[in-house]
Amino acid sequence: MLKATIDADIFKEAIDAISALIPECRLHTDDDGISTRAVDTANVAMIGLSLKKEAFDSYKASKSQLGIDISKMKNIFGMAGKGDLISLEMADNAQKMSVSVHGYNYSITLLDTNTIRKDPNPPTINLPGKIVIKGEDLNNALKAAAVISDKIALGINPKDQTFYLVAEGDTDHIRRDFSKDELVSLTPAEARSLFSLDYLKDMGKVMSKAAEVEIFLGIDHPVRFSFDIAGGNGHVEYLLAPRIEAD
Amino acid sequence: MLFMDFSRCCERLEGTSGRLDMIDIIAAELPGLTGEELPVFVRFIMGRIFADWSSRKLGIGPNLLYEAAGAVAGISKEKVIEKINSTGDVGQAVEELLSVKSQMTFFHEELDLVHVYTSLIEIAEMEGKKSQREKLLAVRRLLGNAHPLEGRYLARILLEELRIGVGEGSVREAVAKAFGVDSALVEHAQQALNDMGEVARLAKVGPDALRDVQITPFHPVRMMLAQQGSIADMIAEHGEIAAEFKYDGSRFQFHKKGNWARLYSRRLEDVTGALPDVIRQLLDATDHDVILDGEVIAIKDGKPMPFQSVLRRFRRRHDVAEAQEAIAMVPNVFDILWLDGETLIDLPLSERRRRLEAVVTQYVAPQVTSGDPAIITQTYEDALAAGHEGIMIKVPASPYSPGQRGKNWIKIKPEVDTLDLAVIGAEWGEGKRAHVFGSFLVACQDAGRLVPLSRVATGFSDEQLAEVYELLKETVLKTSGKEVTFEPSLVFEVGYAELQASSNYEGGFALRFPRFIRLRDDKDISDIETIGSIRERYKRQANSAQAYQH
Repeated sequence: MLKATIDADIFKEAIDAISALIPECRLHTDDDGISTRAVDTANVAMIGLSLKKEAFDSYKASKSQLGIDISKMKNIFGMAGKGDLISLEMADNAQKMSVSVHGYNYSITLLDTNTIRKDPNPPTINLPGKIVIKGEDLNNALKAAAVISDKIALGINPKDQTFYLVAEGDTDHIRRDFSKDELVSLTPAEARSLFSLDYLKDMGKVMSKAAEVEIFLGIDHPVRFSFDIAGGNGHVEYLLAPRIEAD
Repeated sequence: MLFMDFSRCCERLEGTSGRLDMIDIIAAELPGLTGEELPVFVRFIMGRIFADWSSRKLGIGPNLLYEAAGAVAGISKEKVIEKINSTGDVGQAVEELLSVKSQMTFFHEELDLVHVYTSLIEIAEMEGKKSQREKLLAVRRLLGNAHPLEGRYLARILLEELRIGVGEGSVREAVAKAFGVDSALVEHAQQALNDMGEVARLAKVGPDALRDVQITPFHPVRMMLAQQGSIADMIAEHGEIAAEFKYDGSRFQFHKKGNWARLYSRRLEDVTGALPDVIRQLLDATDHDVILDGEVIAIKDGKPMPFQSVLRRFRRRHDVAEAQEAIAMVPNVFDILWLDGETLIDLPLSERRRRLEAVVTQYVAPQVTSGDPAIITQTYEDALAAGHEGIMIKVPASPYSPGQRGKNWIKIKPEVDTLDLAVIGAEWGEGKRAHVFGSFLVACQDAGRLVPLSRVATGFSDEQLAEVYELLKETVLKTSGKEVTFEPSLVFEVGYAELQASSNYEGGFALRFPRFIRLRDDKDISDIETIGSIRERYKRQANSAQAYQH
């Protein structure tokens, strides 16, 4: 059972964070709120997202799973205006969810949760370097790099106390060093890993709206991005596997 | 069976040249497979995904595969294409990319043979505007979980070009050997079912299961084919023979059960939608449930039109109604394979003909039976006079052998030497033909391999060059300078004056005065001339040359 209303912008923010990686997901509901955990088709990126009941204007739910077509949901938000409320309603074991927004009442067929990949277990990894940066700064740096290349190295220089991003294209090169002053905080540790900008571009767009993003880095290790959504009543973690080049 | 085990088997087969050794390798794998795995294994090993009778298509083009491979390997599609150009083989390129793939993943799932097959069914069923994106994701998932060796064969299967030299004959022998059944029985079941996968499954059940197979309506069987020969030889060998006009149209197979009817082309594609007039005519011609074999010809002002106009209708998907007005399509039915639930292919032609005449009231092609060469020759003259291609002569006692080009059907037509050859490469044209391909490299086949035979640069109209360019431009595998290499897909009918022994081409022959006759888009790459038949022609040509000299 689910009966909830939520500000359209807040729900959109959550759905956008998921759609950056996957077209459909399994949403868990319980007393405290909703959450999802998923890995993209290529097993390269993972997302963990939670939205506490405080993020909703009203919220009542029993423990349950819903198969959500994320792309379809995104289209529905096209109907919402600023300050609109979205109401979600679903009976126990129902195949359909009612979604009302801006006078439109949808009945959305849910996906069979058996057809959605089972929730991945996040790997246990130790990432010693930690950066806290403004989401907008991070996104701008990623966007700049995407012009030059399809991959980017993220690293920490403990000596200079800097966080850097370097991208190497076929003919061009770009580097951005963030000094400690430009960051919210830095926990220096030797770190450098290479990532596909294909994924980072989409993640960056979502993270640009976050006041602060925590980045955890290691050497040739995955990167973890951790940030709040819904004014602190929701949280997203992205995990992205590195590229490791032989040369 | 893990897809890895299947891949290892492919690798062993690829490294084996002897046919008997190949049969042994396949036969050793079959008994260990489950009923679910067996059909998949058998089709995959022949480079096919779905049953031969099925018109189901995967719908994955080379570009989609390159994009997926790039995403998995962590490089751009352009780099993937560079790699394919440098290796000259998609499978090998994907294998190398996966072996140095730089993108790490969080999980790895071992690919299972049946799971790969069910994924391919899902891919084939994806439709609609988002289907290309969905297909891409599905292929990424498959390749993402593939080991390099699996990638080699997966990529080739996805493009339906496995090319490890395993032909249907080898698989037939392997099935017979693995399950201790007679290979003639396997062949017979394959002719009726047109799905070696299902035949293998039945062979595992036992010989009775193979013996009991029936043709299934709407599962088209292969067309019986004809050889070249002479009236005199046929009469000398068989006495009375049956002669029919050889129509210059398009072969069809008509399936009807109740009011439901479909029409299949020579390549067993469903062409029902393009020829509603023919369907109507045939539905009106019989009340029975039937499978009929025939040839549809185009008639304008009472005269047969060239083959091209029929083909145009076969290909047509739009504006069918408009096209119907311009040219009348007339079916000519000459055989019946199935009648009211009974499979007739093992009956003699004379008996099939009797039943055909009894149940089909119109459009049955006239037949003359005689042991007199003068009467048959007169039929031949009549056929030519009426604007047809020549005649077919058939042995009245012979069964219908799907897919066989045997001695029971002989085609007699004026001597024009042409070969059906695959287009494997081209050179860019010059001058006003600078934006299309100008000269084409064509090949025959040798045990599943394509062997270059000649270049063809003449005989094309500008329209034909433009059409051929449109058809080929998406299939370019490799470009170096002016030379391009294609993923073989088109068949040209090529005319020539003489076959010459030559070391210029790998096949050992060259064509003298090769010229383009027409596009055979009713034919598949597997239908092209074999090197064996070209050697035969060369021998015949040498004999007749001697005859002139003496």
